[in-house]
Amino acid sequence: MDINITLLLVAALFLILASGVWVGLTLTGVAWIGMELFTSRPVGDAMAVTIWGSASSWTLTALPLFIWMGEILFRTKLSEDMFKGLAPWLERLPGRLLHTNIIGCTIFAAVSGSSAATCATIGKMTLPELKKRGYPEHMALATLAGAGTLGLLIPPSIIMIVYGVAANVSIAQLFIAGVLPGLLLAGLFMGYTMVWALLHPGQIPPAGPAMSFVEKLKASRNLLPVVALIASVLGSVYSGVATATESAALGVVGALVIAVLQGGMSLGQFRDSLLGATRLYCMIALILAGAAFLTLSMGYIGLPRHLAEWIGGLGLSQLQLIMSLMVFFIVLGCFLDGISIVVLTMGVLLPTIEKAGIDPVWFGIFVVLVVEMAQITPPVGFNLFVLQGMTKREITYLAWHAIPMFLLMAVAILLIYFVPGIVTWLPGQMVG
Amino acid sequence: MRPLLDRFFNATGYLAGFFMVGTLLTVLASILGRLHPVFELPGADAYAGYCMAASAFLALAPTLRRGEHIRVTLLLNQLPAAGRHVLDVLCHGLAVALSGALAWFSIRLVLQSREFADISTGLDATPLWIPQLGMAIGTTLFAFAFLGDLILLLRGEALRDAASSDELSHIE
Repeated sequence: MDINITLLLVAALFLILASGVWVGLTLTGVAWIGMELFTSRPVGDAMAVTIWGSASSWTLTALPLFIWMGEILFRTKLSEDMFKGLAPWLERLPGRLLHTNIIGCTIFAAVSGSSAATCATIGKMTLPELKKRGYPEHMALATLAGAGTLGLLIPPSIIMIVYGVAANVSIAQLFIAGVLPGLLLAGLFMGYTMVWALLHPGQIPPAGPAMSFVEKLKASRNLLPVVALIASVLGSVYSGVATATESAALGVVGALVIAVLQGGMSLGQFRDSLLGATRLYCMIALILAGAAFLTLSMGYIGLPRHLAEWIGGLGLSQLQLIMSLMVFFIVLGCFLDGISIVVLTMGVLLPTIEKAGIDPVWFGIFVVLVVEMAQITPPVGFNLFVLQGMTKREITYLAWHAIPMFLLMAVAILLIYFVPGIVTWLPGQMVG
Repeated sequence: MRPLLDRFFNATGYLAGFFMVGTLLTVLASILGRLHPVFELPGADAYAGYCMAASAFLALAPTLRRGEHIRVTLLLNQLPAAGRHVLDVLCHGLAVALSGALAWFSIRLVLQSREFADISTGLDATPLWIPQLGMAIGTTLFAFAFLGDLILLLRGEALRDAASSDELSHIE
């Protein structure tokens, strides 16, 4: 392999990306150049076969279905029910209703694969309600920005499916592996909110009128269908009754049933959810298509193997390797979306990870956590964009107040590094 | 020209949605088939994959028309209007070339699959050129959509009304 040509290719990749060519097409273009230079195989035909193979693969079918499920629930009255149902229980905690953001996002994350959709769905209701009650705006935004990213870590998760397909890891295992780290992160967010509230007692408004236990239960009864949906989707994956794809199909049906029972789903909304999901999936599919071709091309160039040998030769400890990768991903995350990061790097990094003896399921959760951090780092952070759309605040203001959440995610990464059981224990208990 | 194009691409968007429903139904059929042999649909897994692929490829052009495909706009947004226009034209030119190549070789794939009578290795034993048609048609429309946008850009017309950033952001 000619190292100069490889470096030139990487430089070309970033140059074309930065100039604004669509990500999926850029990957295709760079892959084309690479194959043209390093093989005599007819490039165009190899491209068409590779892209067809990846676009029609059965493992990927979970992806569009989970996207559709999230799009349906996004259009229901769920966010309203969530606030009403959660608020009465949280009035006594330090930080009071700020926790509706965190717990609301945690629950919605378990039916949605996207962090931006989680952020938007929960924020739609909590931001105005918290403002009305006089909660400090920056804390409302920070908790929402942080907890919204749980959409990626708590299954179902779009990015986990993308990683699973790229790294050839069981999607069901990844899903289950994300549960405990997700709850851990939610716990960290809540802990931080409580400490902050105790340190700034004057800034949290007084609790609303007390409700009896029965009244509280009544206020939460609308959340039952969602809890049932979460239980059936995750339960079917965990118990091995259904594959990830099958649980996604059941999830779509369940979401439709909930939407119809709520009386909130008109034909128009059904159409919007369907077409919205189709386009969202298409956006991802274009990137995946380019990435499949780039991975093929990289194989011919031999870049992944050489990178693995080079990094292996550096004699880094596992911790050093993980920390350098974290910094690398965070820097990439400042400019690229998470899915592009995963597909771009996994084709190259996988042999390195295997060589370093890192469990690919564990690494998947690590990557998802780092991508979550990228969601709230400017200039490109999807959750910041969502919040900007909802509040019309400057992106720098939002990013500044989200810094504590960013640090908490870094803490979570250290925790799963030193206690890998947080990730690996639950998938180890799975049936089959 | 723009309203007509939009209406045409909207129609392909609906077709993509139809195949999305198809993906759901085939997966449900495979679940039912496992529960009771009466519902057994041999090769349902493969059909789900074909539907998914058709949905994705057919949606390429309508998604582009709405400005929702992912690109890094950091540099574009920083440039003054004239520079942005030049760079955007270059991007569209490159995109026409790449999507054109994709379309060309997708059509070739269909023709070759037909000629060599390629058959799926799964239980479905489908002649592969049939599901591959979705890819050929979708990528061809995609290339034409880019070409249309390039022409609009060169004429100095607006590509689209402000895209709904709301939808865009759900990707992650």
